[in-house]
Amino acid sequence: MKFITRILRPEQVRELVTLFLIVIIVLGFGTLLTDYYTGRTFVRVSTSIAIIAVVAMAQTLVAITRNIDLSLGAIVGFCAFFLGVQLSYHHEIGPVPAALIAIAIGTAMGMINGLIIAYGRVPAIITTIGTMAIYRTAIVLYSAPEGGIVSAHRLPMWARQFASWSIFKVGDLDFRVMVGIAIAVVILIQLMLTYLPYGRRLYAIGSNPEAARIAGFPAQRIVFLAYLIGGALAGLGGYLFLLQYGNLMVLAGEGLEFDAVAAAVVGGVNIFGGTGTAIGAFLGATLIGTLDYSLRRWPAISEFWRNAILGLLILLAVATDSAIMARLRLIWARAAAARTTEMAEAKARSMPQA
Amino acid sequence: MTEPILELLHISKRFDMTQALDDVSLAIYPGEIHALVGENGAGKSTLIKIATGVHQPDTGEIRVQGRPVVIHNSQEAQALGIAAIYQEPMIFPDLNVAENIFISHRSRGPFVRWNQMYKDAEEILAKLGVVMDVRQSAQGLTVAQQQTVEIARAISLDVRVLIMDEPTSALSLHEVQQLFKLVRSLRDRGIAVLFIGHRLEEVFEIADRITVLRDGKLISSRPRSEVTVEQVIRDMVGREVEEFFAKSSVQHGEVVLSVRGLTKQNVFYDVNFDLRRGEVLGFAGLVGSHRTDVALALFGIEPADAGEITIDGKSVRIRSPQQAMELGIAYVTEDRRKYGLVMPMPICANITLPTLPQFLNGLGLIQRQKEIEVAEQFRQRLNIMTPSVLNTVERLSGGNQQKVLLCKWLNVQPKVLILDEPTRGIDVGAKVEVHHMINDLAAQGIGIILISSDLPEVLAMSDRILVMHEGRQMGIYTREEATQEKIMAAAMGHPEAILERQA
Repeated sequence: MKFITRILRPEQVRELVTLFLIVIIVLGFGTLLTDYYTGRTFVRVSTSIAIIAVVAMAQTLVAITRNIDLSLGAIVGFCAFFLGVQLSYHHEIGPVPAALIAIAIGTAMGMINGLIIAYGRVPAIITTIGTMAIYRTAIVLYSAPEGGIVSAHRLPMWARQFASWSIFKVGDLDFRVMVGIAIAVVILIQLMLTYLPYGRRLYAIGSNPEAARIAGFPAQRIVFLAYLIGGALAGLGGYLFLLQYGNLMVLAGEGLEFDAVAAAVVGGVNIFGGTGTAIGAFLGATLIGTLDYSLRRWPAISEFWRNAILGLLILLAVATDSAIMARLRLIWARAAAARTTEMAEAKARSMPQA
Repeated sequence: MTEPILELLHISKRFDMTQALDDVSLAIYPGEIHALVGENGAGKSTLIKIATGVHQPDTGEIRVQGRPVVIHNSQEAQALGIAAIYQEPMIFPDLNVAENIFISHRSRGPFVRWNQMYKDAEEILAKLGVVMDVRQSAQGLTVAQQQTVEIARAISLDVRVLIMDEPTSALSLHEVQQLFKLVRSLRDRGIAVLFIGHRLEEVFEIADRITVLRDGKLISSRPRSEVTVEQVIRDMVGREVEEFFAKSSVQHGEVVLSVRGLTKQNVFYDVNFDLRRGEVLGFAGLVGSHRTDVALALFGIEPADAGEITIDGKSVRIRSPQQAMELGIAYVTEDRRKYGLVMPMPICANITLPTLPQFLNGLGLIQRQKEIEVAEQFRQRLNIMTPSVLNTVERLSGGNQQKVLLCKWLNVQPKVLILDEPTRGIDVGAKVEVHHMINDLAAQGIGIILISSDLPEVLAMSDRILVMHEGRQMGIYTREEATQEKIMAAAMGHPEAILERQA
């Protein structure tokens, strides 16, 4: 125990538990379902996680600062739609410029959220419910001349094939580019959270906003930037969404904001700010994605029950967070106190008696 | 003498009706521990907030090392070398100790170098002579440790003036000694410390210079060696009891409320008193004396852990406000906006809120006409200045809001009425009316507990005064024996006060 408290933090224990649950699910369904351990399963699960994981990163950033972004799904939808329409007419746009277009639009939409929330001091939940509705309407208006849809067959060839592009294959396991992008984003966000002063200040703000106000760093700007980056990530999510599905309707991306919240919460991001990691949220997305796919494959479970089970999982995650994490933190605090006493005694011994 | 590091010159600040600071000048020197003392509302907090840029003075000048400066926010104060440590530690619980120390540093490079940060944090703590695991999450730290982290943060930012606002209020005796050791070592390194204290023994132990504020004015500022405890207490109270607090004498009836050994762990201990019908029992004490917590326990909002409460000779346990109300206890809160009134609701609806079942017809619907009639009676009785009881409460002045709040609880027809700071933030005229009301209510045989930080008010309105200091009852003084000095000495927890009383 003493050793564990020294090398791990409670949050990391939490992540290991999520990982453990994923392994349990995979092993469990592996015995339950035939043809479960196949390359097909890996591709289906990994690509379905990719989009949610990217959007969950956005949600994680704002959740750490005690905020929320419910417009993420609408931003994904709008960016996907905008890009889809553009690509339908301009086949000369390549994959990289296309990604930049989607990211730029997402950034602009995130900026609007950030301005209202950080500088206008409007509660995040109200602001993003409002902008969610507005961005959704923007999709409808923008897509009206197109009949409200984007069709895959009008997209350039690369966009139709992108989803099946592979980085590498290990036997049956096909590691897709989409998945690679998502994992790269997770790693970048995690590095930012751990190694940039900006990342640490996100935690500080969510941890104690009052203290952040008097600690002498620009709290408003930091929250604003979190929404801006969140918007950019949602833009990237929109890019991946278009390339994954090809055919879009005006409801594209609806509900993704909640999937992102679910992934973050299941992965140990505290919705009341201050704690959570990108890796955790990614593991949360993986857990949900794996469970969702596996339940789909299981004939005994109807669609209705699948949703209920996923809902239960989220409630369970929140409940454990408030109960078990508090326990863990207590154990860690006691261990630290014991170490402090040890250190004090060592110091007292090393000093000559006056 | 060296040049002062921080000078506040002729500072005045006004909030609405109250003159928080009136032409206060203060000079703080490096290597000096400067204590600031005063009653609640003397202007100590306002002065700190001006020095740290939270508030701007209306008039006056701030100088840092002789240079006039304008401080817009705590960031700028920090840049000038001024940092404050508050009663509630401003710590980030989800970050670890080292991060808490360096969170607002700008010049530590574009990346967080964790190992370097741990090393630097250990170094700073070692310099302060503190042993602590810098990788530990701040969540598990004691208040004393959290303060130490805050001091380390200030030191790491090269602070030259450290303001400490009642830092000892949540510390044990041993921790206070540790803190003082730390504060002295800061002084010896040439840092100026402005120490706001509420325990006189502590102030006399640590301070090199003691400054007394009263009613926003600077009363005295002298080296510790030149003042006595008695002098400081006299400077702190020093006000004459104004005439208009006329107390009418009322025949006291039988004991209506009796409290024995009332205790709530870590909040207040062993509170004992009797309250008779028609009696006004004053509760005196400074911030942190937990007077209000006793009231909250009696009203069932924060029930006590132990002790006995007797109402009309019957032993009762009070677990909720509903229960307290049924037993005939009413509590007029000190925070009108937060707990007392529903600002956007009409006056009449506010008054009938606790007694709404009496205003329902057979179908369970509210009888508006009856509500208005009752409210109208109160309006005339208490002279609430409003054209109509249908107006919303938010449009009334502070004094009139206070009256509405009183009406709300008088309508319950209580046996025991607890008034928590009933005259805070209202103007003099309204104050007099509230005092008349207190007299009237006592004359009607209601037992009244009057909690007030306004010492002359407590002295003038009360038949007896119970003084609390940090959750302990220091004594009950009769009207005849009570003086401002005695009450203040007891409220500051000064042992001589008790000796004097027993003698």
